[in-house]
Amino acid sequence: MSETKWKLYTAIYVVLFAFASLQVAVETLGFLDEMYWAAVGAIAVLSVIKAVFVAAYYQHLKFEPRSVTYLVLGGLVAVMFLTAAASFSIT
Amino acid sequence: MAHAEGTEGSHDDEEHMPPKSSIKRWLVTTNHKDVGILYFMTSLFYLVFGGVLALLIRLELLESGSTILSGAGYNQVVSGHGLIMIFFFISPFAFGFANYFIPLQIGAKDLAFPRLNAFSFWSYFFGGLLFGLSFFLGGGSFSGGWTMYAPLNAPAYMPAVGSTAAVLGVTLFVISTTVSSANFLTTMHSMRAEGMRIRDMPIFSWSILMTVWMMLIAFAALLAALIIMVADHVLGTTYFTTSVEGSGSFLWMHLFWFFGHPEVYIVLFPALGVLGEILKTFTGNRLAGRKWIMIALGLVAIQSFIVWMHHMFLTGLNFETKTLFMATTIAISLPFDLMIFGFIYTMIKGKVRLTTPMLYALGTIVLFIIGGITGVFLGAIPLDYNLRGGYWVVAHFHYVMFGGAAALLGAVFYWFPKMSGKMYNETLGKLQFGVFFVGFNLLYFPLFFAYEMPRRVFVYDVSIKMYQNIATVGGFILGTSILMMVGIMLHALKYGEPAGDNPWQGWTSEWTVSSPPPLENFSGTPSFKSGKLDMLNPATDGSGVETDGGHAVAEEHADHASITPFLISLATFVMFLGLSGFNQSTAYAAVAGIGIVGMIGSLLWFGFEGFKAPAPSNVNKWPFEGVEQSKLGVWIFLLSDIVVFGAFIGASVFMRFAYGWQDWHYDLIPEEHVVLPGLINTYLLLTSSFAVVLALVAIKKKSKKGLVGSLAATFVLGVGFLYNKGVEWNHLFHIEWTNGAGELIQGWGFETNIASSTFYLTTGMHGLHVILGLLILAFLIYRAWFNNAYMEDDRPVEYFGLYWHFVDIVWLFLFPLFYII
Repeated sequence: MSETKWKLYTAIYVVLFAFASLQVAVETLGFLDEMYWAAVGAIAVLSVIKAVFVAAYYQHLKFEPRSVTYLVLGGLVAVMFLTAAASFSIT
Repeated sequence: MAHAEGTEGSHDDEEHMPPKSSIKRWLVTTNHKDVGILYFMTSLFYLVFGGVLALLIRLELLESGSTILSGAGYNQVVSGHGLIMIFFFISPFAFGFANYFIPLQIGAKDLAFPRLNAFSFWSYFFGGLLFGLSFFLGGGSFSGGWTMYAPLNAPAYMPAVGSTAAVLGVTLFVISTTVSSANFLTTMHSMRAEGMRIRDMPIFSWSILMTVWMMLIAFAALLAALIIMVADHVLGTTYFTTSVEGSGSFLWMHLFWFFGHPEVYIVLFPALGVLGEILKTFTGNRLAGRKWIMIALGLVAIQSFIVWMHHMFLTGLNFETKTLFMATTIAISLPFDLMIFGFIYTMIKGKVRLTTPMLYALGTIVLFIIGGITGVFLGAIPLDYNLRGGYWVVAHFHYVMFGGAAALLGAVFYWFPKMSGKMYNETLGKLQFGVFFVGFNLLYFPLFFAYEMPRRVFVYDVSIKMYQNIATVGGFILGTSILMMVGIMLHALKYGEPAGDNPWQGWTSEWTVSSPPPLENFSGTPSFKSGKLDMLNPATDGSGVETDGGHAVAEEHADHASITPFLISLATFVMFLGLSGFNQSTAYAAVAGIGIVGMIGSLLWFGFEGFKAPAPSNVNKWPFEGVEQSKLGVWIFLLSDIVVFGAFIGASVFMRFAYGWQDWHYDLIPEEHVVLPGLINTYLLLTSSFAVVLALVAIKKKSKKGLVGSLAATFVLGVGFLYNKGVEWNHLFHIEWTNGAGELIQGWGFETNIASSTFYLTTGMHGLHVILGLLILAFLIYRAWFNNAYMEDDRPVEYFGLYWHFVDIVWLFLFPLFYII
């Protein structure tokens, strides 16, 4: 493992740690009370960014053939469609 | 037809295995053909089991009202018949053939993970055994219908140990199916012999490939649904009994039918693949529109996941959703039209030989057209309102599902000579088909006329009696035909003439090896580089190109026997048996404990056992070139886990949406449920993920201490995660809090409300994944420290990392969902 990658993995760890703290800060600073859906959106985006970092670098998806990424996305799309369609169906 | 070079030599491998006449052979075998035969024989048993239940239903319906069965007994028999036929007969029957013939058709020597393949079979076997036992455990078996609708499936209506055992039996089968799907997908995407592009696969192999893709996703959703149901029964969660009006019933229906509609095609696709094989063999013609049939199968596989709500037209779904799903449902019939036209045109262009398998193929097309057309009625909302709850659905459903099974019975006659080396009596075969076809139509066609009779009841109007009685006569004729088939095969095994390698002049590569094929299929490394599999018969395609799958390359022989799959499955069965009555008796709890100990022991044996699976070489891996076989297996497994967790998270989101998104937080969750424990656990898991990365860094630096230290750090962080969770849960179990209605409540446990149920079950499932990860970690640490493992080959650590990081990612979403918003 090259020195560059080692530094990269460490930097990603720091970012993940910081983003988790930031998510909690959104709540403790009162944003959930003042503008609920915007705060929820921000928290969700932070979670997605963290997940992408872990998948792309710690799981090396970035360095695998793109078909493996599509495999993962296929499952995600299926369950997101299930959740969205089911929730909409009872409106 | 050329014969694969040197296949006779592979018979020597049999000497290393117990003989087929010994029971030991069948307990330890991991060979795909043996496992295929095990699937075949076991599923035949369940066909008879489910068939006997069906005949009980038919006898009961000779007269209106209770005659030979009580109301509760009838409910159990109807439910058991449906669940056994769908889960324990049809799919496993097809997968008997898939196990036997897929490696042969794609030029592989076995499946990618032979021990997991044996584990899949034994889990299926013991799942069925647990289901069968459920009839004899306290209170009888599950009696809420094969669709297991909520709230009928809830403990309030199904409190008996037997009903929980039945659900756990199906759960064990679903575990088997998930492992099997990942195994087949890895095999077909990493072990196709040289020269076989994915589009060159025989139509049966293609149909199985599409089937297992659907299975991987659909059964994962069902697994989540079943785990939730078991949790309601064993842990006291309230998903399906929640006071949030109707949402529990809707949740079950969404999860169940997201699985249930693809399941129809999961059952049907192998039958369509068999049809394609039989038609091209017995018409002597290439499959007309082969490419388009393959595309149509792929389209249906995708579309199958966007039609499930047509099963819910009678519920209170909004009209926009119903309309949308009516359109998608009607649209899914179009690719099927294309397939049927392709099959018919193949016959028109070819020279038909009316053998028994061909008769079955013709019969299946007729049955399937009837089943398909009558299904279109149910896709239209206004017609569905009138037909959904009655016998029209029963008739349509059986024409589709058992019509598909008809093709599989044709497959028995088609492939029996290859599997046994003996030829059956053709005259008897044709006679058997005639009895089957008459019995089938006498049984199911009159039920269309009984469309006004409600399903799942035994009381009916006198005007319907004639239809029910004709159906009963048909049922017994159909049952007789199944016994005839078994008799014909037994007769052939004893007295049949040698079948030869290729009695039908088949085109695909299973016909190029001896009958039955040798243990390792091909003595060398097969290659199809010189031609396509469909071009085996030079007399027909005119190309003069033969593909015999036979460049022999010397290589190390693989293992084909291990007792560990049997033991792991047995231990899981014991644990599930104990779980059935876990909350009702300490004896059951003790049995569950014995099962858990057995599982840990057998898994350790599995881990330390030296077992060499066939190593694929010279293979075609599109679209996963460059991805090592085991790594691909891990990713495919993770895909199914994504769906399982996605379904859990989706269930939480759905229930919260049904309750009222923001009210949920204020009404149902105590103030003591704070962010801090979740944040600490997030830090712990993120750090543990980083520690796994450090373990790989240590291997690159050749540092054994670094490797062991990093893995140990991961282990400690994981234990810390669980400890923190335990402290948090213990605190929440004992708090006193006031809910949104101002009521003072003691404790916030599994059963308190729907918010606590979703919290504990979803994060608990995640915790279970952490525990499994820790068990694997302990194994890795031991091997790294005492056996100097992984310093030369870091793949096990890397693949463990894929799993552990996935567990980390899941938490990244659970944390905000359950702690912040």
